[in-house]
Amino acid sequence: MNDSLQLDTAERAAIDVRDVTKTYDLGDVKVEALRGVTFTIARGEYVAIMGPSGSGKSTLMNLLGCLDRPTTGHYFLDGTDVSTLGDDALAHIRLKKLGFVFQGFNLLARTSAMKNVALPLFYAGVGTKARNGMAATQLREVGLGDRMDHKPSELSGGQQQRVAIARALVNDPAVVLADEPTGNLDSQTSEEIMGLFHQLNEGGRTIIMVTHDEDVAGHAKRIIRVRDGRIVDDQATGRG
Amino acid sequence: MRISQYWTEALSVLAANRTRTLLTAIGLIIGVMAVISIQVLGVGMSGAITGVLSALNDRTFFVLPNQQQTDFTRAAIKLSDLQRAKNEVPNVVDAIPAGGQTLRARYGHRTRRVTLGAQADELYSATTPLRYGRKLTPDDIQQARHVAVLSDKAAEKLAITSDPTGTSIRVGEHRYTIVGVLNKSTEGIIPGPQSVEVGIPYTTYEREYARGRLIVFARVLMADPALVTKTEADMQAWLSKVKGGRVEYQTFDRKTIAKGIDGVFGVVTFIVALIGAISLLVAGIGILNIMLVSVAERTREIGLRKAIGATRFQVLLQFFIEALALSAFGCLVGMVLGIAIGAAVNDLLIVKLSGIVAPIPWLRSIVIATGFATIVTVVFGTYPAWRAATLDPIEALRYE
Repeated sequence: MNDSLQLDTAERAAIDVRDVTKTYDLGDVKVEALRGVTFTIARGEYVAIMGPSGSGKSTLMNLLGCLDRPTTGHYFLDGTDVSTLGDDALAHIRLKKLGFVFQGFNLLARTSAMKNVALPLFYAGVGTKARNGMAATQLREVGLGDRMDHKPSELSGGQQQRVAIARALVNDPAVVLADEPTGNLDSQTSEEIMGLFHQLNEGGRTIIMVTHDEDVAGHAKRIIRVRDGRIVDDQATGRG
Repeated sequence: MRISQYWTEALSVLAANRTRTLLTAIGLIIGVMAVISIQVLGVGMSGAITGVLSALNDRTFFVLPNQQQTDFTRAAIKLSDLQRAKNEVPNVVDAIPAGGQTLRARYGHRTRRVTLGAQADELYSATTPLRYGRKLTPDDIQQARHVAVLSDKAAEKLAITSDPTGTSIRVGEHRYTIVGVLNKSTEGIIPGPQSVEVGIPYTTYEREYARGRLIVFARVLMADPALVTKTEADMQAWLSKVKGGRVEYQTFDRKTIAKGIDGVFGVVTFIVALIGAISLLVAGIGILNIMLVSVAERTREIGLRKAIGATRFQVLLQFFIEALALSAFGCLVGMVLGIAIGAAVNDLLIVKLSGIVAPIPWLRSIVIATGFATIVTVVFGTYPAWRAATLDPIEALRYE
């Protein structure tokens, strides 16, 4: 098989992971966090990655988020092989193609919702005016059109996570990665956030969510289960 | 990516942490302030001394036995020797006993102890202004008149508030007619003959106080002040010869003293400016410290910024500019305070005392102070910024 053929198949999927391993060298011991993982996620999919702690799901999430590189194997994100890129090139990929939603929201305190959402655009070199306009549009889309000047401390947990989601979407990413997005929220707010993800997915967004909560994972259309660094199960939930 | 946006960001971070910003900047403020004001004062002082010196037309120098003499009685100069020096040492016009005697003076109903001393007409330089009357004239000297010129201090002691010329004052056993009162000398920063409170013609002084007494300290008047160095050497050699070569003499004039003072001021200014520079260095370490704290505190934030796509350089730039903004704030406040203090002390003290407005190199002082502060900030601000830039985003996001 030659490389150009590989790329052809890679171009079809949002995410194409091929025989990826990740080994952490801790001096005396080598920890194999991923022992050969292969899967593809097409554009517009809504996938939950599940697994107990220590299963390698966090490692997989970091690799998918271009925060880390695989030890061996290839990872094509939106058609680009990112498995061997340098730090700054990876930063550029994260800026252009990925949106992150975290368990702890990770909003900048003392900074308005609008400025938080506009932050990725700042690094993308978008001018202040255009930045604020795009951030405002995105905030309206997540239902926070009337909270733009509020600081995180003035918002509820659900509203903060909505701001974080708006921030993940503002650069129009190929993939939205959510790491336990409802971990810090009560069940009713969780449902609201899940509703928002569903709505985004209906609009065509590719969403990958890491969770250990079966109920939350049940909102996705497909669940990939990881255990001991391997994929042990990968099937549709029947939703959607 | 525009630099101005980084500045906006940095300023908002500093504004959000006002107390910390202020405390960190204090070191810089004090350092910059000290370096600027000390330089200004040093230059002002030195300029004042040079200015006073150039205005000085001092035709006198002092002669006294070398300080290594153990027997001052043998080294003492006789009045007759001084009178002979006029004829035998070239360029010497006259030589008179220096210093004075403390005597009781009575003026009106007031009695006070004052210093009476010998004066010549040349001794009052242009920088010693008159309040009333006149100075001693060559005529007064020649005739050995019983006239006196009072210093401002004597006038104060004797409570003289209106023009006393023509009235008489009793000092010790003798009466003198007051012909003039001096104003405060603007040479205040240079030692002068002002310790004499009641000045009488030296001829009168010699006749009434110095006859038959031993003189240790003498003042020599020259015809041409330009030849001061040679005349001083001649005078030393001549006196030594008179004493049979057993005693050595030394001389000094006010310009040598002033030059010495000027030199000392230069060294003091340099050392104090150096201490200011060291305080700037310490301030730089303060910035290093607070920026490291800031980076540690904002580890998660840095992780987030990197996760959403900030490059290492962008993170470095952000923290570096934050350090620079902190430094700029400190420099600005320090500059304003430094200029204010320097100008105030220069105007209110130096210029007032000396009457000399020396050109102050403001720009140079400011550039030196802020330049050094900036170098210090760049040196100490880079490391925390580099630390932030090289944080692993995964670790940083996990940081509690």
